[in-house]
Amino acid sequence: MLSIRKTQPFPIQLWDLTLIQLANWRWSWRGNLLTALIAPVLSTVALSVFASNRGLNTLGYILTGNMVMSLLFGSFDRVAGHFAYMRAVGRLDFFATLPIYRVSLILATVIAFLVLSLPALTLTLIAGTLILEIPLALSPWLLVVIPLTGMALCGLGALLGIIVRTPEEVGNLSALITFLLLASGPVVIPLDRFPGFMSVLSLLSPATYAASALRQTVLGMPDRIPLIVDIGVLSAILIASLWVVGRRMDWRQS
Amino acid sequence: MTVYDVIDLTKIYPKQTVPANDHISLSVEAGEIFGLLGDNGAGKTTLVKQMANLLAPTSGTIRLFGQPLNASPLYTPGQIGYMPQDGLALNNLTVGETLYFTAHLRGMSRPDARAERDRLIDLLDLGAARDRHTARISGGQRRLALLATTIAASPPVLLLDEPTNDLDPQHRRRVWDVVRDLNRERDITTILVTHNVIEAEKVIQRVGIMRAGKLIAVGRPGALKAELNQQLRLEIVFPPDQPPTLPDGAQPREIGPGRWQVLIDRDAAPLYLHVLNQNPAVEDYLLSTATLEDLYLSLAESTTLTDSPLPPQGGKGSADRG
Repeated sequence: MLSIRKTQPFPIQLWDLTLIQLANWRWSWRGNLLTALIAPVLSTVALSVFASNRGLNTLGYILTGNMVMSLLFGSFDRVAGHFAYMRAVGRLDFFATLPIYRVSLILATVIAFLVLSLPALTLTLIAGTLILEIPLALSPWLLVVIPLTGMALCGLGALLGIIVRTPEEVGNLSALITFLLLASGPVVIPLDRFPGFMSVLSLLSPATYAASALRQTVLGMPDRIPLIVDIGVLSAILIASLWVVGRRMDWRQS
Repeated sequence: MTVYDVIDLTKIYPKQTVPANDHISLSVEAGEIFGLLGDNGAGKTTLVKQMANLLAPTSGTIRLFGQPLNASPLYTPGQIGYMPQDGLALNNLTVGETLYFTAHLRGMSRPDARAERDRLIDLLDLGAARDRHTARISGGQRRLALLATTIAASPPVLLLDEPTNDLDPQHRRRVWDVVRDLNRERDITTILVTHNVIEAEKVIQRVGIMRAGKLIAVGRPGALKAELNQQLRLEIVFPPDQPPTLPDGAQPREIGPGRWQVLIDRDAAPLYLHVLNQNPAVEDYLLSTATLEDLYLSLAESTTLTDSPLPPQGGKGSADRG
């Protein structure tokens, strides 16, 4: 029996594939600038006009809600589109014929798009803080919450990109889902402005936990969902979405 | 040593009833250059994608070096280089970056991967494209870059689907030279799909001819052509309005305006040449033994009735004589 030729160890595969996926900044930076930075900043400006006299709590929702918007556009939407594109142009076939593990490609893609979303997220935070004139109370947990939130949304994006048929359908669906996630819970708007049933319904939305975690770690605002629960739910979303993507992204098409 | 053992392979795509591959059995031996010929839709690409483990068969098995393709997750990718008919591979990277990462991910050290990148860029004349994104280079350069990516780090088995598509004659010749050199110098087994039958004949050592999902002939080109070589191929060029008169029983096939092809018995060749030499309207003629293309066309004809030759010529006919 012929043995398998030399292959790279998993960490080396992951590093190379992350660098390959990071090169996507060459095409994605314009879109990122528009949707993950300009849209949240404009939204912050617009909402600040109406909310300037509603107190710090409302301003806090606007700031962190728009950070979630930046992450949704910069990670969820981008990764969904990227997986759909990889399928459409045969890039997955190319990767499938390299001696690499599927999981290393999925993880590398998620990590790379998280990194690519960070500049817009940071600028959204800085611009929002200046526009809203809101004091920050940054927690060390932010170093856990931001990567976890970004990767969980990337994982959901990968899932959408793998299960929906065409890149066009993925583009439309991801935009629709982004707006639904932003509107279906206390993300940009405080919970007390929603009808009562939304307090339960919003618990089904990943954006609810992302926004809650950001409010607690960026502004130190107390929340009805404890931070540990946010972290637990976001971790579960990340693991479950990557597991399903790994199962669905069979190299070998039927 | 047998590299590929394809056993009774059938592939029916979802929502289809006609098989794309229909009970195909085939062996490819180590160090061979094996050509798959066939018209569009014959099932060549489907077969090659299954051999690359990119497509699951409906029934039947494929063994690579005696092992099932999915013996382990990295087993088949660790042995093959696959060049698809289209596809951009890594269009967010430059050609140089693509070659480097491919070689490195195939197990080469970083310095060796850099050296492999430089070697392949020289080998396939890609210097001008080295620092350009693969999405922004010409179709021909992209094809060469894809071939370079496929052969990076010299996998022991290459699966090449239409490697010379989009290439000019000079680069087509370069590709065939590279395929032949890899086989000769590194003993790399190559399975290639092509429409360039005449050019491929120079490198193919064994050929499989596919039609409508079935493998209708497999063997060495010389052996397969032996029967056809009982006859010679005569190509005649003449003004379209002055068709020549040919000896009794000739069955010319029109292959273009003012162009016929006739298969003739060897001992009838002098008579045909005499007739053509006597006809001043005949502009040119070429007498040759059968090619792989003739073999392919002959086999295609024997499995379908859609192509029928021109009616037999009787006597001297009515062609003008000078």
